[in-house]
Amino acid sequence: MVAPRPGKMTETPAGEIPVAKLKAPRGFKVELWATGLPGGRAMALSEDGKKVYVGTRAIGRVYEVTDAGDKRTVRIVAQKLTQPAGVAYKDGALFVFAIDKVLRYDGIASNPNAQVQDLTAKFELPPKQHHNWKYVAFGPDGKLYVPLGAPCNICEPEKEYSQIRRYNADGSGKEVIATGVRNSVGFDWHPKTKELWFTDHGRDWMGDSGPQDELNRLAKPGANFGFPYCHADGKQDADFKKKDGCKDVTRPVALMGAHAAAMGVKFYTGTMFPAEYRNTMFIARKGSWNRSKPNGFDVVNVRPGADGKSAKVTPFLTGFNESKDGYKFWGRPAYVAQMPDGALLVSDEQVGAIYRISYEKPAAGKAKQK
Amino acid sequence: MRPCRWRRAAGLLAAILVFGANAQETCLTCHGPGGNSVTPGVPSIAGQPRLFIETQLVLMREEIRPAPQMLPLVKGMKDAEITRLAEHFSKLPAKSTETARPDPRLVQRGRDRAKALRCGVCHVADFKGQKQVPRLAAQRYDYLAAEMRAYRDNRRKGGDTIMAAALYGVPDADIDALAHFLSRLP
Repeated sequence: MVAPRPGKMTETPAGEIPVAKLKAPRGFKVELWATGLPGGRAMALSEDGKKVYVGTRAIGRVYEVTDAGDKRTVRIVAQKLTQPAGVAYKDGALFVFAIDKVLRYDGIASNPNAQVQDLTAKFELPPKQHHNWKYVAFGPDGKLYVPLGAPCNICEPEKEYSQIRRYNADGSGKEVIATGVRNSVGFDWHPKTKELWFTDHGRDWMGDSGPQDELNRLAKPGANFGFPYCHADGKQDADFKKKDGCKDVTRPVALMGAHAAAMGVKFYTGTMFPAEYRNTMFIARKGSWNRSKPNGFDVVNVRPGADGKSAKVTPFLTGFNESKDGYKFWGRPAYVAQMPDGALLVSDEQVGAIYRISYEKPAAGKAKQK
Repeated sequence: MRPCRWRRAAGLLAAILVFGANAQETCLTCHGPGGNSVTPGVPSIAGQPRLFIETQLVLMREEIRPAPQMLPLVKGMKDAEITRLAEHFSKLPAKSTETARPDPRLVQRGRDRAKALRCGVCHVADFKGQKQVPRLAAQRYDYLAAEMRAYRDNRRKGGDTIMAAALYGVPDADIDALAHFLSRLP
């Protein structure tokens, strides 16, 4: 059945999360790092990485995970919100974006009772809900980047949707920097070029083979990425046809798989992993629903080509779905974050957990990865 | 027809929790005999999928899906009790409580629209629902018509937004035909 798969609203105990089934390349170790975060997805880290703020959708909560070295504790910092998926942290303040609200908590990492500032009015978010849960992040320019998805599967939406905007941190200076974006819920900036790279989900109900999810590069503000007329594969839409619909459309750098739900993007800048991973991306693919056979359910490593116009996609973390041909998944990876020591955190929205991936060079002559 | 008295239901439930009688009897005060509602605006809950009922009760308890009449009933309710109620109502037989004669023209239009809008992909071919997706067959006409409008117009808050996408741009006349068709299904 090609219907959306149910999420889980209740806690999954650590003992019921089969982390040993996850596979990564030789030398990488995968551990269960935090549990008890039903629906947890995007992560924002405090300066020292001791606090991780985690957004959710249906369950309406934002969690704070405190890292005490050998163990983690979890508390709810916000609740009763409408899909507070967006979390960002800058200069000691946590920003929370729900579909219809923008909140800021100053000094929350050191003060659990930090006062909440309501910035909603400043950001002028449009009212439609679908695809308007958000991933948000601060760019190297200090601006806050906010996507506004198309409020449909496929449509010609009103002008305030299917775009990515940036704002000053206080909500002033609104600027639309990308259009024709169906539903982007993940992005990051190239450490050297400072260009924005973002994932975008392809539409449903055009068959198992496509259109594919996209990985895009924004070379200059104002580019159009094709929705609803032109899809990743350069294919015209089946329902909304326009003459020259693909003209002047910026095509993706990489195709991320049909219906695979390419989500969180993170450029690796640490030194813990082997040097070849530096300035490459880790992208979580939460996994398909509108497809008879599963696609995604993994974290991939994406290496941009020297020209910035192509990229190579390689599986990195697999084992969430236990069948190649059917939907036998126990977990769904959603976002990737980098810790100060260079280890990666991967959130799993299905079981409400976070994994930590670290690297240690395998000893010479060691025959097999443990 | 006995009117639905949710205040009385709240009092009843409090008594039940104290005295240990059957909580599900309280639900029937509003949701009707056997969970098939005879009260305008109140949905039938008989034969709804277990996961659907469970999820909705959690969303109401967490005050994510605004439901002022349900809140006093679910406030503080433990997960285990929610699961028990969900299991109980998912096993009751659903029965249409519509009494007016169906209009064959509207039934046909509703059936056609349901096919075009792919309702059966998630709600399954006989519209009995599955997992987190509710049963539509034999649901009250007025409830279906009102909720579909609320989804389309972004007035229904909390939970999934996929119905807002499914009903994007669907005119009132189609919604009414869909509700007419679905409410008469067994």
